[in-house]
Amino acid sequence: MNITPNTTNYMIAGYAVFFGVIVIYLVSLYSRWSRLQRDMRSLEEMNQDKPK
Amino acid sequence: MTKKPLLLLILDILCLVLVAVAAYLALVYAPMEVTMGNVQRVFYFHVANAWVGMLGFIAAGVAGIAYLRTHDVKWDIVEEAAVEISLVFFLIAIVLGSIWARPVWNTWWTWEPRLTTAAITEMIYLAYFMLRGGIEDPGRRARFSAVYTLVGSISVPITFMAIRFFRTIHPVVIGTQSAAAQGGFNMTPHMKVAFFFSLLAFTVVFIDLFWHRIRLGHLSNQVEDLKQKVME
Repeated sequence: MNITPNTTNYMIAGYAVFFGVIVIYLVSLYSRWSRLQRDMRSLEEMNQDKPK
Repeated sequence: MTKKPLLLLILDILCLVLVAVAAYLALVYAPMEVTMGNVQRVFYFHVANAWVGMLGFIAAGVAGIAYLRTHDVKWDIVEEAAVEISLVFFLIAIVLGSIWARPVWNTWWTWEPRLTTAAITEMIYLAYFMLRGGIEDPGRRARFSAVYTLVGSISVPITFMAIRFFRTIHPVVIGTQSAAAQGGFNMTPHMKVAFFFSLLAFTVVFIDLFWHRIRLGHLSNQVEDLKQKVME
């Protein structure tokens, strides 16, 4: 008779790794986007203030 | 450019729904595999992540060809976006595979053909960013990167076929596997539903992230151009 091993902890670890890495990547995308938008705004202001 | 298109917003929401359904199918709907137990459920996301990882590496190679033909910077942005996203997905696939291997093969890692070629592929594309970081001139950087991704994309079919060409312990779920394979199983109809739905869900997630990352690349280029203009 086969006894199914209890490997639930490995399954939980696998899905935790997946969701963890994806969340980190999404935060990285969002923070880069926000930083670039901030840079864009300040550069536009500097460009407008620049003497013609 | 900075305003998010409605279609992208819809795609974002669709991705959340698809991943939630894929997780439900993998964790609840699909039956437990009797010889491996619940760790087998990692397989659905493992294969789906590997699939989109490889898809992106191939897309990067195609973008590389397009750049070399046109010298249009948009293809450089597309290529960099594809490599970055694929690196993340492929890394997840490798780690999930390692977690699955621990109870099934009794080891976290072994240098068999699939794991070795997958690790080499991941390192090839990690080095891509080192290459880009080492070249200041944008035109030269884009040209070198395009050639690099083109050559690098050869590693993708090698990785994919490694378990079909060589004697290996890595199972082949679809197709004929090596006699030495350990941890293989026949998919029940419910398992097939979870498996193919995960492939579909992750393909949509890849498209969504690809679009976001391309927009980020365009914005980065705009900032660089404006910086040059201000400094003149």
